[in-house]
Amino acid sequence: MNMMLFGPELYFLGMALVLFFLSLQRRVRVEQTYYVALWLSVGGVVLAGWCLFQEGELFFKAYKVDLFSQIFKAALAVGLFLVLMISRNLAHVEERCHPEFYLFLTTCTLGMMMLVSSVELLTIYVSLELSSYSLYILVPLRRGDDIDTEAGIKYLFIGAVSSGFMLFGLSYIFGATHTTYLAEIMPKMGQLIQNPIGVVGLLLALAGFFFKVSVFPFHFWAPDVYQGAANQVTTFIATASKAAAVAMLLRFAALGASFGYSFAEALVVLSIASMTLGNLVAIIQKDFKRMLAYSSIAHAGYILMGVLTMKEAGYISAIYYALAYLFMNFSVFLVIHEVASDGRDLKIPELAGLWYRSPLLTMTLILGIFALAGVPPSIGFTGKLLLFTSAMSSGYFWLVLIGAVNGTISLYFYLRVVYHAYFLEPGPRPKIHLSWPSRLLNYGVCGIIIGFGVFPDRIVELAKVAARLVL
Amino acid sequence: MGSVNPFFLGCTLSLVLSLSAFGLIMIFTWRRPKLSLAISLTVSTICLIIAWLTFIKLSALKEPLILSVDWMMSDQIRVPFGFLLDPTSLLMFVIVATISWLIQLYSIGYMAGDSGFGRYYAFLSLFALSMLGLVISSGLLQLYICWELVGLSSYLLIGFWYEKFSASEAGKKAFVVTRFGDIGFFMGLAFLVLNFGTLDIHSINSAAMSKAFPAWLLTPAALLIFCGIMGKSAQFPIHVWLPDAMEGPTPVSALLHSATMVAAGMYLLTRLFPFFSCSPTAMTVILTICTITLLLSSTIGMVATDIKQVWAYSTISQLGFMGMGLAAAGLTGGYLFAGFYHLTTHAGFKALLFLCAGVFIHHFHTNDFFVMSAKGGRRLLIPMVTVTIGALALAGIFPFSGFFSKEAILAELWNLPNKMWLGLGLLGAFLTAYYTFRVIFVLLFPRPQAVGGGHGVEEEHGHGHGQEEEHGVPWVMAVPLIILAGFTCVLGFLQAPIQKFLLGEVHHHAPNYVLLVSAVGCALGGIGMAWLDWGAKGAKWEGFIRKVPVVENFFIQKWYMDHFWRWFLNTVIYGLFSRTFTYNDRRVVDGGVDAVAFGTIGSGRLLSFIQTAFLQLNLLFMVLVLGGIGIYLLMGR
Repeated sequence: MNMMLFGPELYFLGMALVLFFLSLQRRVRVEQTYYVALWLSVGGVVLAGWCLFQEGELFFKAYKVDLFSQIFKAALAVGLFLVLMISRNLAHVEERCHPEFYLFLTTCTLGMMMLVSSVELLTIYVSLELSSYSLYILVPLRRGDDIDTEAGIKYLFIGAVSSGFMLFGLSYIFGATHTTYLAEIMPKMGQLIQNPIGVVGLLLALAGFFFKVSVFPFHFWAPDVYQGAANQVTTFIATASKAAAVAMLLRFAALGASFGYSFAEALVVLSIASMTLGNLVAIIQKDFKRMLAYSSIAHAGYILMGVLTMKEAGYISAIYYALAYLFMNFSVFLVIHEVASDGRDLKIPELAGLWYRSPLLTMTLILGIFALAGVPPSIGFTGKLLLFTSAMSSGYFWLVLIGAVNGTISLYFYLRVVYHAYFLEPGPRPKIHLSWPSRLLNYGVCGIIIGFGVFPDRIVELAKVAARLVL
Repeated sequence: MGSVNPFFLGCTLSLVLSLSAFGLIMIFTWRRPKLSLAISLTVSTICLIIAWLTFIKLSALKEPLILSVDWMMSDQIRVPFGFLLDPTSLLMFVIVATISWLIQLYSIGYMAGDSGFGRYYAFLSLFALSMLGLVISSGLLQLYICWELVGLSSYLLIGFWYEKFSASEAGKKAFVVTRFGDIGFFMGLAFLVLNFGTLDIHSINSAAMSKAFPAWLLTPAALLIFCGIMGKSAQFPIHVWLPDAMEGPTPVSALLHSATMVAAGMYLLTRLFPFFSCSPTAMTVILTICTITLLLSSTIGMVATDIKQVWAYSTISQLGFMGMGLAAAGLTGGYLFAGFYHLTTHAGFKALLFLCAGVFIHHFHTNDFFVMSAKGGRRLLIPMVTVTIGALALAGIFPFSGFFSKEAILAELWNLPNKMWLGLGLLGAFLTAYYTFRVIFVLLFPRPQAVGGGHGVEEEHGHGHGQEEEHGVPWVMAVPLIILAGFTCVLGFLQAPIQKFLLGEVHHHAPNYVLLVSAVGCALGGIGMAWLDWGAKGAKWEGFIRKVPVVENFFIQKWYMDHFWRWFLNTVIYGLFSRTFTYNDRRVVDGGVDAVAFGTIGSGRLLSFIQTAFLQLNLLFMVLVLGGIGIYLLMGR
């Protein structure tokens, strides 16, 4: 067995162990811990990139390493690195908890990495729970207000219920097919899905992923958790965690491909409900992170558009969008982190006059917001274009139309942010000084948002190969 | 496109370099004149070299070379992006590259010390990009994009001294008026693409030559596209922007508003010549409009006192003349040679005339050539000699280039069955010679006492030249003059090679002595008339037209065209359309939008009630929705 196949996971396991030992120290050395975590994550990015084109199977075929999984692993490693980049100043987490903070971020990444490679029901479940448990701890780690506790409890409960649904559904599938391997379930699914047991099983099993991607009606945690968790944790949930969940959703939804139109129709309903609810409610939000939570619900709806086509084009677009979403969302959170450097929740009016306080941050903000809103030539536009095109060519005209209307509605609250940042006077707020790594990060994210928006070919080609592996 | 073609590379390079020069200067170096100049001039030189190399390498080209890549595809419609290199475009490519290089050189002297020096060169680079792109583009959409970019750079350059109210107004006017024509152009393109399916120039022309176009498609499309040509080439009745465009720096007038940009219209006409000539109706309309333009602008040129205005009107009239040549050729089944040859020679001598005017203006700080003459304009030797050469060419005197090309056009007009057109063309030639030499004689034979306070043309640019009076003409300004004068002298004798290059063969005509004599007679007659009015010892220094004050006033008021447009704008556009649309906007559109917006926000508020703090309710909701979907899936079949 080639252990290189399991390389990234092993690396992050090792990284978690290192951080674990650091957390055992009596006196926490904040700086040191941070740099250890950061540099280890840099190594993780390098390794994940190195392993991008690995292929093989592990652990009695329960674990499949292919381009699909490796792309997402690389994305996860990058996501962790990005989040650690903005974790230098963990204002709202107690100092003695810092090593734990990094530790759980790492285990969560590890869990999600395993998740995207798992092709066996129990492995999937265990990996999913590994990532979820880490997040259950991370969310209430913020000190101060009560809102973090509320968020933590809400997250835990909704997560637990979704997991319950999922397990229940998985048990149905297992019971009907007598196997837990996706590869074996797949051919049997065509016949199984004619029976209620198959439908119910698949629907319930998907619930666990819907929870992760925050699709309606499993979205209730999102606003509270986004607002209540520390900014860095929210960033992680909104970027890396989303990408992994989309990957798994793609893998699982492919099971329903043989069911035909009405299963897809159920997903259409969820997609429409998600984006409409997300966009409409986002309009009236005042807290920036809460608004982004609703925006993430809406984006879950968009991504579902690609998933529900059950076709190659749709999968390509969903993969592309998941990766794009990671970067565009991160760029916005980067700005939140820099503006609210003391870790407070950022209200939208506080962005007033940001152009004066830091032109660079404002550029990052505007690019990220434009990408989220789908304005060309950003990466978000290309992604949305791909999604809408794929849904359109699969015959979902009304879905695309509603999606487009939703895109228009969403412009309102996205542009409101830009309006505050560019057209209002800063008032007495001081200028923001960025450290040079942060500057580099800003430039890098901006470059990615524009660069891959204009030249999406490479990523689309990769996604094409990856999508073929899943379907 | 397998391997990369060197010509494709060269063309792309020239465009990309021009664009990056524009970007670099605008973003980084606009504060630093020397650096900006260096960037722009280097790029311009590279473009010049590329243009000449391409021209020489491809001069023996048999088939047009089409190099294109797909830029955009949507369902049935393919939009290629590429270059069509055939003799017409190659010649124009060289002309544009050469003239813009010369102008950049000249501008070093002319714009020295201006606060917007860097910006000026950035705009020139933008212009080079768009004009070169326009010339060699293979499809009409790409051409249209460049066409609009040319319009933009023209706008920027006319309003270059934006702190001057008249300049910014003139820029706006140029932009809006040419856009007015471009609406037609765009509709024509849409009409073509919907009914013909492609905008590729080569396939349009070959389809036209094989008579694949039905008349219902051809004539409207041709006329609509001609609207754009009218705007850009300043043809009646939307020529009004060009005289005002002289508010820009003089090199800009030389580059854009005489030699190259306004010629773009005529160039398009040449480009689509087979297409246009399939529609006799369209060609007749073009002939009529161009003739009206020729006469109108020549007569206005007779009474203008601003040297740039005179040249501007002469430009309009010469463009009309080119159009006449092309239209006549189209109607009689002739070749595009005459009109395009005149475009070539005109580019040379008109740039020359403007640059000379620029030297005078730079030196004397006035646009009024009566004042220049009074201040001793003839003492500037080089410009005086070169301006005379340019004027001789413009008037159509042997052996200067204008003579040959005018002869060619008149020969085309001669072929028309109706000799009225020829007569009008000859009248135009007469008037051209007259107003041209009015300027020359006034400059040559000054009468300081005759200059009253009446002619008050303002100084064009106010930047300080304290020492300006001392030295003569800087060499950077003189060299382009000499080069262009050289072109003007030589180009006429290259008629046969150019014809061979453009058409692939030389068409020898038996010399038509009647035509030759009458044409030369008209030109000499015009000069003689000018001599009697302005040159001779006992001349009264007033135009012969003064004997009929009504007509003179009509000309001075520019045929009341500006008044007409003002009236048209006030009553029709503002009075009728704007008011109705504003009302509709306020009441119907705004009201509707408000309703939708409030409705959306309201539904947002409503939906937010789902998000309660009661966890139980949330969970219940989840279960209910999931149950609903399950029931739907199970029952739905």
